[in-house]
Amino acid sequence: MITRRDFGKYSAGAGALTLAAGAKPLYAQDRPTLTIAVDNLWANINTINGISTSTRRFFPNIYSLLVEQDYINDPNGVQLKPGLATEWSRDGKVWTIKLREGVKFHDGTTMTAEDVAFTLGPERLWGDEPFEPRGKTFTEGFVRVEAVDDLTVEIETDKVDPYIPGKLTGYIGFVVPKAAYLEMGVDAFGQMPIGTGPYKVTKFDSGEVLEIEAFDEYWDGPPPAAKVIWKIVPEFAARMAGVVSGEFDFMYNIPTDQMSQLESYDNVTVAYALAGNYPAVGFNCLPDPEDNPLVDVRLRKALVQSVDMDAIVTALFGELTYHPEVPFNWTEYGPFYDPDMPNPLPYDPEAAKALIAETDYDGEELDWHITRQFYPNYEAAAEIMVEMWREVGLNVKANVLDNFQLVYERPWHMQNFSNSTAFIPGDPYRPLWLDWGPASGRAREDSRTRTWEPTPEYLAAGEKFLNAVEFEERKEAYLELSAAWQEVTPCMYLWKSVYNWAHRADVTWVPRPDGEMRMFGEYLTLPA
Amino acid sequence: MLRFWSIKVLRTVLTLWFVVTFTFVVLRTSGDPMMALLSPDALPDEIEQFRRQWGLDQPLFVQYLRYVGQMFTGNFGESLRTHQPVIEIILDRLPATLLLGLLSFALAAIIGIPAGVVAAVRRGGAVDRLLMALAVFGFAVPNFFLGICLILLFSLMLQVLPSSGTGTFWHLIMPVLTLGTATAGTLARFTRSAMLEQLEKPYMRAAMAKGVPAWKRIYLHAFPNAAIPIVTVIGLNLGQLIAGSIVVETVFAWPGIGRLLVSAVSSRDLAVVQGLVLVIAFTMVMANLIVDLVYGLLDPRIRGGAR
Repeated sequence: MITRRDFGKYSAGAGALTLAAGAKPLYAQDRPTLTIAVDNLWANINTINGISTSTRRFFPNIYSLLVEQDYINDPNGVQLKPGLATEWSRDGKVWTIKLREGVKFHDGTTMTAEDVAFTLGPERLWGDEPFEPRGKTFTEGFVRVEAVDDLTVEIETDKVDPYIPGKLTGYIGFVVPKAAYLEMGVDAFGQMPIGTGPYKVTKFDSGEVLEIEAFDEYWDGPPPAAKVIWKIVPEFAARMAGVVSGEFDFMYNIPTDQMSQLESYDNVTVAYALAGNYPAVGFNCLPDPEDNPLVDVRLRKALVQSVDMDAIVTALFGELTYHPEVPFNWTEYGPFYDPDMPNPLPYDPEAAKALIAETDYDGEELDWHITRQFYPNYEAAAEIMVEMWREVGLNVKANVLDNFQLVYERPWHMQNFSNSTAFIPGDPYRPLWLDWGPASGRAREDSRTRTWEPTPEYLAAGEKFLNAVEFEERKEAYLELSAAWQEVTPCMYLWKSVYNWAHRADVTWVPRPDGEMRMFGEYLTLPA
Repeated sequence: MLRFWSIKVLRTVLTLWFVVTFTFVVLRTSGDPMMALLSPDALPDEIEQFRRQWGLDQPLFVQYLRYVGQMFTGNFGESLRTHQPVIEIILDRLPATLLLGLLSFALAAIIGIPAGVVAAVRRGGAVDRLLMALAVFGFAVPNFFLGICLILLFSLMLQVLPSSGTGTFWHLIMPVLTLGTATAGTLARFTRSAMLEQLEKPYMRAAMAKGVPAWKRIYLHAFPNAAIPIVTVIGLNLGQLIAGSIVVETVFAWPGIGRLLVSAVSSRDLAVVQGLVLVIAFTMVMANLIVDLVYGLLDPRIRGGAR
């Protein structure tokens, strides 16, 4: 069993092995077809409209990023390296991005600064009625994106933003060809997209299959497989049987209690990575319903202190993952992470009882909306948590519902959700501000997921955080912001998510904490 | 005869209209599709933009009239998820479901009917008990469970059959067996009951007294008379051919309309769900019509009554 501490060591080792093997010329007829059994695909594969966990898995095979996170040499991915952008520099509020020369799109055209400016520009992401409206979330503060010459782009923001290169490692950093995009239209493009990645899309049926073929003009050299097929196989037993029998080369989403079963087969390797994602219990801090007992912060803190989350995580996941004790003090935040930070709300049933006694709570039922089978082991954890809460006098009813639409239907007191940390590598901007700030769905008055109202202290710390340019200044603001959030305690983070995969044992493959399945480069070595 | 068929056709049209209207109203009043299609924290502008684009900002009756009007021109709308015409999406998937459904139905008939006849002829014996035990097992075991058991046995342990998908003869074996088993069990039970009823009739004793050979008495005298209830069961099962494939298609990743329905319902893709419900209702109604027609062929008294 690989422990989380071993993961980085093995990742780096696998990368080194791959590098040591050296590059060989590849010919289409020598290369195999890889089949990956997946549980679902997404309706479209536009880089922004198509954002989902399932698309991120294959996006880098189709599109290339402007800036890359170097997971081969840094398990936390904090270190950045050039992608389609080779250099970047900042002068005040303006970032200058130098682009790689001679990069080809799958339609044979050459990538220019015009394409990159369009990819990041208002017409597509952040103007009035943009093609992919969700892009506004990731381009906050953008005021100008302009092609200065064929290989140079400038990005201007409304205030100094030192984190633009980091943001370009995310979905907005996947470059699309302007002419083809405009000619096809956003919907058609999302069904048969064109990128600069190592594979080009040849077939996409969102309910069945995605087929991508080697693009030998890829800027970083031909990929190792002739074709990669992402085939939907909804039933886990069929995916498992297919990998064991050699029908499939890869599969993912293995129930944690089935991992040892798969590991028992000699021809199968089970891999996993701790994801930058944390499932949570959201507390409704608002008087909606009017008599909501959870408007009292003492009750919310009692909910946190009465649950032995470490014991639950160990029981459900073994050594695979862990409970993050202090919200936002997470390893992937690199220099922001403090392993010695004290836990302000440790497991302490007696303290929880004392807090409850201070409130007007009189055993009213607290309705907890949970999405059925969405987060692995969530329902099992909920059963244990409900009993732990009952022990201290909190009456929580876990209400498991079929989909998120039902989960969001009010009234409810608690609700499941998860927060991702992916956006700016090594920086706590997300979720601390992006997912909880005043423009977030958790805080906006018009949002159906609204659960809290940011306090003046939180907003003031947030302003300081956003304006901080130097690290020390930003870290100080982060600590203030996190403390202001914890003062309210609008949720409880449960564990760090685990992504897992099974693949042919004769394949060397490096998993990534962002869930990407890169079928090329230093990440994949196929047997000779 | 003309009146008989006119009434049948009118009933068919009314049933389909009712199904269309009922589905339309229920789907649109049971939740907002935008909430399923857009991210939870979608901005209000984004939601409004989508609503306008799909005409969901119009009053319900306007949407309904537009939908029904389009239907008469063969336009069943576009998928909210993929923007493809619904008719194209369904026609793309329908052959796979028909292949699976018809083959499993044929398998069920080939196994179930003879098994029922044999069980009736051997009533009370060991063969009867064995066949009926198998029949009960067949329709009592849930599809998904049997499917998973077959995958674990033939794909995981023996590694002789592909676990999922389509493309070769071998891909068909497990889904057809899974889907056909329950129908075979049902057919065997009904055939046995219908045959037993006929075997005890006086005309069968008369045939035996006249020295008619056993096989003739069973297959030329008893079986045709037992056919009416068997045809009714066949009709019901034929009607469920598409609806029944939902679970099996999901377990075996079979690219038919059963799986399409599951994904369309979970993503509230209204136009696709609407189109699929119509197709399923249509197959049910057509199966009933065919059964009525076969009744007439099997029993001249029904034709006479209709006249």
